[in-house]
Amino acid sequence: MSLQIIINGLAVGSVYALIATGFSLIFNILKFSNFSHGALMTLSAFIGYFFAVKTKSSLIPVIIVSMLSGGLIAYIGELIAFRKITLRSTSPFYYFVSSITLGTLYEGIVTIWVGPNFYNYPRFFQSMVVKVGNFVISKADLIMFISSCLALAILVIFIQKTRLGRALRSVSFDRSTAGLMGINVFGIIQLAFFISGALAGLSGVFLGINYTLYPQLGNLVVKGFIASVIGGLGSIFGAVVGAILLGLTETLLINFVGSGYAPVFSFLIMLAFLLIRPQGIAGSNVQEKA
Amino acid sequence: MKRFLAILLAVLVVFSIAACGSKAPEAEAPSETPQQEETTKEGDIVIGVLQDITGVTSTLGKMVQEGAQWAADEINAAGGINGRKIKLVTYDTKADVQEAINAFNRMATTDKVSAVIGPPVANIAIAIAPISEQYNVPVLHFAIDDRASLKDDGAPYKNMFLFQPSAKQQGAIMAKYAVEEQGLKKFGIIYNQSNAYSVSLLEPFKKTAESLGAEIVAEVPYQPNDKDFKTMLNKIVSAGVDAIYAPNYTQELILIVQQARAIGFEGRLICGLDACPPFPELCGPEANGVIYINNITESEPQIQGIIKAYKEKTGNDATNKFFLGYDVMNIIAKVIKEVGDDPVAIRDAVEKLTGFQGLTGNITIDPSTHQTKGLEMVMHEIQNQAPVMLKRYSAE
Repeated sequence: MSLQIIINGLAVGSVYALIATGFSLIFNILKFSNFSHGALMTLSAFIGYFFAVKTKSSLIPVIIVSMLSGGLIAYIGELIAFRKITLRSTSPFYYFVSSITLGTLYEGIVTIWVGPNFYNYPRFFQSMVVKVGNFVISKADLIMFISSCLALAILVIFIQKTRLGRALRSVSFDRSTAGLMGINVFGIIQLAFFISGALAGLSGVFLGINYTLYPQLGNLVVKGFIASVIGGLGSIFGAVVGAILLGLTETLLINFVGSGYAPVFSFLIMLAFLLIRPQGIAGSNVQEKA
Repeated sequence: MKRFLAILLAVLVVFSIAACGSKAPEAEAPSETPQQEETTKEGDIVIGVLQDITGVTSTLGKMVQEGAQWAADEINAAGGINGRKIKLVTYDTKADVQEAINAFNRMATTDKVSAVIGPPVANIAIAIAPISEQYNVPVLHFAIDDRASLKDDGAPYKNMFLFQPSAKQQGAIMAKYAVEEQGLKKFGIIYNQSNAYSVSLLEPFKKTAESLGAEIVAEVPYQPNDKDFKTMLNKIVSAGVDAIYAPNYTQELILIVQQARAIGFEGRLICGLDACPPFPELCGPEANGVIYINNITESEPQIQGIIKAYKEKTGNDATNKFFLGYDVMNIIAKVIKEVGDDPVAIRDAVEKLTGFQGLTGNITIDPSTHQTKGLEMVMHEIQNQAPVMLKRYSAE
């Protein structure tokens, strides 16, 4: 029984992890929280949905379409909303305002496009559950967990082991010096936005499959924010740990104190982290630019 | 100079937007102007339709509106009421209580409607009810929460009339059917704590089920933003229940049913009106075995005929709310034919309505509650993702 709760918690946590890494990446580079991330998840999930309905394709192509469109939209979004601010090196406050406005725009596009109702993805697999001994695992959760792990592993290898990844790290460490060393800073920023958008697409599809699709789906991004605060803003490793931790605590709390009080405790945990260890679990170099 | 240019630019942008906007005033804010207002002629009978057309509950509101329009078109095609045409004036509540109140005030004061076809959404009807007291316009609505038709002291609001069985009756019907016909003895309940509709169906079910010897072994409330119900459902399932009672809105119901199956629950799920089509297709094969209550049954020939004709005309599927709107429009027409279009006379006649044979059943209004009396509901089971009628049932 309690193991079943832990399985549920891991499943929830793995989606939170995808959301949290998506904007950790941007926080890492431009040092601001990208509030348009949630709405971008919704937008790309809807693109995937209409692709799935039109072409009746299986899950993998839908994920690819969503990730690509998420990446492209984020890429364009960077050009429109953030490029000028980066060039001017003005206050990060403008990033904040610009990302909120961009998010509102995305959500508006979705609402005009599909209306206020909810949609449900077509069925991708025949049976819904896998039975392991006494435990039941939902197939969607399992696939979600595996692909989250896969995507995060690829991301980590990319960042740690490749030349581009090293460039990305150096830009996030010190933009102007990286530029002086001959790194194409804006190329790297665009790359980061593309990857973050692709992660938004991936998490959007999974959220849609699990929780139905509707214009406010992106509000779940708040969980990603909490997770990355717990884990340490800007740290990808921290975001993953924070997300899994949040998923587990939430399900345990729902089981023991009920759904009404669970958010209260999640909030308290976040407050405790802000008070006691503001740099989060991972404790990377945080400047107050959220 | 630069600052002056910036201000000039901002002003220009605002004006150009304004210029673009004024070219298409019809496209803007449809809720402010009733549809087809200019076609209202002297001598038409004006009926207000207060429904959610674009908000989150628009699937319900639009269907009531379309059903009422369908009935009005039929009546007008047959020559109208005593030679006068029916004219529906629709206001969009956008699922917003304040919008709804404003629209209702406008209908009652400036549009001078003869009657209002009200919403199936509880929180809006509850907000309208006290305001309706100060006017003399009957509101024929579908909000099953008692607070939409009865005051705190148990007396009915003079202008509010409910045209489907109340939450009390529906909860009792579901419990009676589940215990008596299905032989279910142990129930778990999962419900949305912040949804008046969901909460209103809770107590009547519990009371009836317990009075028939069944027990409620787990009761789990959830919050409007909850999306992961597995842990809550786990709690219910591990209590060893025969069936889960889930009187919730469609979107949440899909998640609950899918996730209940995903954690291996194979028993019955008993649901309210929201499990009627299109729920079975949206939910998928997990919906099989769900038992739910409905106002109509799709297998009835007359209803099938309308569903088919409506589908041909609009390409959409008519749901149960369509037929509620349809019946109420016909009731209003019948009453006006008898007593004329004076709102007070209509109100008095609606209060005395007995034995109106509509598509949603034989409708009689109880003057002491302004709710339907002994109106039957139809229990269905979802098999192969399609509804199968089980039995007609009334609360009495």
